[in-house]
Amino acid sequence: MDSMPPDSAENTEAYLRLLTQHDRWLATYVYSLVSRPADADDILQEVKVTMWKHFASFEAGSNFRAWARKIATNQILNYRRSEQRRPGSTLDDEFIEIVAAEIDRCADTLDRKADALKICLRKLPEAHRKIVVWRYYEDCGVEEIAAKSERTVEAVYRLLSRIRQVLNDCVSRQLSPAPVS
Amino acid sequence: MKDSAINDDRIQRALDGLLSPEEHDALKADVIRDAELRAAYVDQMWLHSTLRAERETLVELLGEAPVAEDKVVRRWPVAIWAAAAAACLTLAASVWTFGKGTIFRHPVATLVQADNCKWAGSDLPTAVNSKLGIGKLALVEGIATLKFQSGAMVTMEAPTTLEILTAMHCRLIEGTLTAEVPEPAHGFTIDTPDIKVVDLGTKFGVTASSTGNSQVRVFEGEVEIGGLPDGKMKRLTEGKGLHVGSATPALGQEPTRGQQVQEAGGWTAIPTSFGRGKDACARRGDRGAPLGSQALIIVKHSDIEAGRDNERRAVISFDVSQVATAKVLEAQIVLDPEPSGFGFATLVPDESRFAVYGLTDEALDAWDEKEVRWASLPGCSDKGPNPNQVRKLAEFWIPRGGSGGPLTVRSEALAEFIHQDTDGLVSFLIVRETGETDSNGLAHGFSSKEHPTARPPTLRLK
Repeated sequence: MDSMPPDSAENTEAYLRLLTQHDRWLATYVYSLVSRPADADDILQEVKVTMWKHFASFEAGSNFRAWARKIATNQILNYRRSEQRRPGSTLDDEFIEIVAAEIDRCADTLDRKADALKICLRKLPEAHRKIVVWRYYEDCGVEEIAAKSERTVEAVYRLLSRIRQVLNDCVSRQLSPAPVS
Repeated sequence: MKDSAINDDRIQRALDGLLSPEEHDALKADVIRDAELRAAYVDQMWLHSTLRAERETLVELLGEAPVAEDKVVRRWPVAIWAAAAAACLTLAASVWTFGKGTIFRHPVATLVQADNCKWAGSDLPTAVNSKLGIGKLALVEGIATLKFQSGAMVTMEAPTTLEILTAMHCRLIEGTLTAEVPEPAHGFTIDTPDIKVVDLGTKFGVTASSTGNSQVRVFEGEVEIGGLPDGKMKRLTEGKGLHVGSATPALGQEPTRGQQVQEAGGWTAIPTSFGRGKDACARRGDRGAPLGSQALIIVKHSDIEAGRDNERRAVISFDVSQVATAKVLEAQIVLDPEPSGFGFATLVPDESRFAVYGLTDEALDAWDEKEVRWASLPGCSDKGPNPNQVRKLAEFWIPRGGSGGPLTVRSEALAEFIHQDTDGLVSFLIVRETGETDSNGLAHGFSSKEHPTARPPTLRLK
């Protein structure tokens, strides 16, 4: 069956709009299911390419996530098969299935959290912001950050862990119906 | 909360690539097994991946001065994927088709069966085949079965309140349920007010009251119990049970002596709490005996060897000395079923049959409520009712899931039996005649005169 990529400007725009809307969800999905960050990046890239190629098969108005989920799961399973790290292991299949279900379950909450995260990021003190930028913008590993900041790896790990905890707690607080003056 | 701290640590280390492949596999296995850890994992992953996915905007966002108060924040800048998408235009198409998108409204479970059900205060739909999201279900009467999307089947036995949390996790607020968990749903978790039950491939039952006092019984396979007072996890294998909380069911209060009441329509109601009235039950083996001052009289029959020692029979006596028994035209015994907290209705037939025997040997009316045991239960031997001492007067049935209120037992033989009384005291033996499919079948309870709120067994005469 033919699945030529869409070529009209209208389709491109529709695709980009949907992708932008569901981008964080898709990233969460893939990053949660693939252990190695570098692999996750590749797979995520591959999923987006595949989705674009097959965007013609997506019915406008139907559920984009369900469609994207199918493609992403296929890509992850393909990656796993080609890697064949531990043949015969069923753990990964089970893990993917169960974690995917959990992401589906809280997809709505995760969506609402996105804006809260921006508020929380802006509350971070200067020292923490630098670490976040190193880790997530410059994509530095813990060792690199340790070298840059003249800390031990363990100390950097603990700091990162604490920043993420602070952000997560802050996001939860933002979502709970707290009194706003 | 030491456990969750350790788990958090592992998730955090995984994010920074600090786990060995073995540790990572162990974490994955635990994420599959433990619903709470899974939720934490997804939470952390969401944060991590959002930060990664939005890295382009991080610098801009964090370049601004720290803000103390919340502000309206504009949306993330659009699409860094435009370039990738455009590039794809030139890629050769491959042959690959996809089905239509499925509905994505996050149902977690389906109500697949509901027998004689009445619901109260539920924030979820209660029609059969309803798709259920997260929320609470309160079953007042009947038996209802839910199929979770994970494949786990959970049967609620009224009165039960259950909160659905995820396809792999629910909370038993109070009541009784049984669960059957197929392989993909292993790790299915049920929280009670005092423990956590994690399925490891099983059929099992759980009962809990709102204050805890949880009981778990494994019919097949294995479960893991967490949240125990000693902080340890405990495994329960097939046929094993566990009881957490107070060891004995609450004793009834010292009853206030009841009154013989004249009712409309010429009826006279005589509770067991009136005059020389009494009620009790006994259990084969006499564990916990004597049971004469319990709030419930409990009746059970089992044809299964493993259930032999759970056999229970009840005896009740009414003081009819103030009534002209010779003039009685009609007679009824009213019993008020109450959850016994023992056993599971799922494991008894669709309907349980009971029999009421009258004690024809009046010497037996003198049985002692404070001392009655299995061997001294009047009118029967170990095997069952003794035909030389008793006469069968009536049968009654209770559907699985309860009858929804007091039961009235009536028969001409009952009225005739009252006629023949000479000592002002009439006694009845109550037995269950139907068995169970598993030794953990339900034990039927009825309120006794010691019950703090429900009404005692009552004889109504006209």
